[in-house]
Amino acid sequence: MMLSQAVFVLFNGLASGMAFFLVAAGLTWVFGILKLLNLAHGAFFMLGAYIAYTIGGSWPESVWAFLGVALLSAMAVGALGYLTDLIVLKRLRGVDYHYALIATFGLMLFCEGVAKAIWGTDYFAVMPPPEVDRAIVIGGSYISLYTIFVIGLGILTFLVLEAIMHRTWAGKIMRAVSNDPWMSGTVGINVPMVLMLSVIASFALAGFAGGILVPNQALSTHVGASFVLFAFLAVVIGGLGSIRGTFIACIMLGIVESANATFLSQYGGIAIYVLLAVFLVWKPNGLFPAQGAT
Amino acid sequence: MGQRTLNIGATTGTPITVWLGPVALTILVVLLYFAPHLVNPGILFVVGMTLIQSVFALSWNLLFGYTGLPSFGHAGFYAIGAYFTGAALRYDFQLHFLVTLVIAGLLGALVALAIGVVALKRLTGIFLAVLTVALTEALGKIIGFSPALGEQDGLGNIPRPIMDFGLFTVDLTHGDDYYRFLVVAVVAIVAGLWWVVHSRLGRAFRAVRDDADRARFVGIDVLRYRVYSFMISGGTAALAGALSAPLTRIVTLDQVNWLASTQPILNSLLGGFTSFWGPIVGSVAFSTINYWTRSFPGLSEMMVGGILVVVILVAPTGIVGMLGKLRDRFTKKGDKA
Repeated sequence: MMLSQAVFVLFNGLASGMAFFLVAAGLTWVFGILKLLNLAHGAFFMLGAYIAYTIGGSWPESVWAFLGVALLSAMAVGALGYLTDLIVLKRLRGVDYHYALIATFGLMLFCEGVAKAIWGTDYFAVMPPPEVDRAIVIGGSYISLYTIFVIGLGILTFLVLEAIMHRTWAGKIMRAVSNDPWMSGTVGINVPMVLMLSVIASFALAGFAGGILVPNQALSTHVGASFVLFAFLAVVIGGLGSIRGTFIACIMLGIVESANATFLSQYGGIAIYVLLAVFLVWKPNGLFPAQGAT
Repeated sequence: MGQRTLNIGATTGTPITVWLGPVALTILVVLLYFAPHLVNPGILFVVGMTLIQSVFALSWNLLFGYTGLPSFGHAGFYAIGAYFTGAALRYDFQLHFLVTLVIAGLLGALVALAIGVVALKRLTGIFLAVLTVALTEALGKIIGFSPALGEQDGLGNIPRPIMDFGLFTVDLTHGDDYYRFLVVAVVAIVAGLWWVVHSRLGRAFRAVRDDADRARFVGIDVLRYRVYSFMISGGTAALAGALSAPLTRIVTLDQVNWLASTQPILNSLLGGFTSFWGPIVGSVAFSTINYWTRSFPGLSEMMVGGILVVVILVAPTGIVGMLGKLRDRFTKKGDKA
């Protein structure tokens, strides 16, 4: 009994943790390179979910079709990212971070309004792909295959991002720009291009997360709120801009949330905030403090 | 900041504009007071909520605009005031309503003191913002588990108070009467905040905001003033909440989450956080947009969000700053002619 409960808590925790990470990845990525905390990230995640629903409908045919739809919505949101960068974000480089926060906050509202105007205020549902839409028994508890699918994709996303950031030439250039944009410019790196590509990558990640996570809950304009709050918390706990820190923080948050729901269900959802408050006061700069974080 | 000195120069330069502000303000207050005779009850409720939102936004902007500390959890303070007043009236704590309001404000200030002493020493900027979000969400969860506070359903059926002053009583049970009381209370709170901002305390806040290190060099205890600002701001937000409970007659959990906390931020930024009156202008603008676009889903978010983005890109000082710029251009043209 104890073992099955522990397995259950661990699995559920990992599953929510990886769901948070899929959302948080783009957020921490763009913060690491642009030093921009994009409050609109959740809104673009939501747009990604709606776009995936519009392309793929409620009943995806297979895992591959589901992944394809998620990639399409990643591309669509990436394109929106290019537009947003061109119209808004580009003008915010080098201004005080308060202004950037305000502008992205306005952007978030704007996107929610657009979503309401296009798709209305009704709720939609998207099913997980048929191959993973069932449960298996591990250690005496039922685990949904879709959960394992999300965990796998979360870990994969993490590994890919880490590899890009630390093992490739492109990652080296991005780290250089992140550390010192001016110096990078003088050694011949096209800094505006790198920044723009980072924004597009971050938005594409939001769109991808939207496509993958849409079966998790009913689709409405509030779909972003719950994931995004946790994603923000994870990014802060991880040390703003650190992908590794965010990944670990997401797992921590997920497991605490799941343990809270299992063992203290009458007080569900409270442990995470207590943990966060204690953590912030104890380690104010996060697990892996980024240089130049404000 | 150059913008502000420019504005002051423009106002003192022309005698008409010196009087324009106070006169307009007086007319506005009189109109607000007699609003129950002028508009229908539906609009009157919107006006009342706008007044409360104005105080709420002002309290947030004291912290952000004047002291440079962002809070993304101000709904927590608002909820403390609203739930305390709601409970005091519903369970009849035998307190004078004015005393209830004062206690509500003090409760907000005390919670702010506790958070401030523990957290403000280490955290500013984004980290403080996230901490306040977490604490507000935790408060929301705790209220959700408290049967006396209505759990998920909220605290309903809150009676409006009757104030006994010994020689005479003031009966606020009718909506119009409570509205008039609200106007008086809001004017008093706004006047109080105006005084704080323009006092020695307000100057210290601004010094801390502009450059904490230099403020420290000239002998300002930075942490202490940050805590003061946090307390005044938290107390005022709790007062706004306390005033809202008898108006809406129900207090719900919708008022205790991070989305509710964004309302005063939105109003302050829309109106302009560099001006004292900005948050009020923003609250009025937001209520108006919301009211006119209420039958088109999404339009109000698009307009408010769009305005906010445009305002930041074109005029980061909000509506008030934009008007100031327009006036400067106008008066300059007048000088040339």
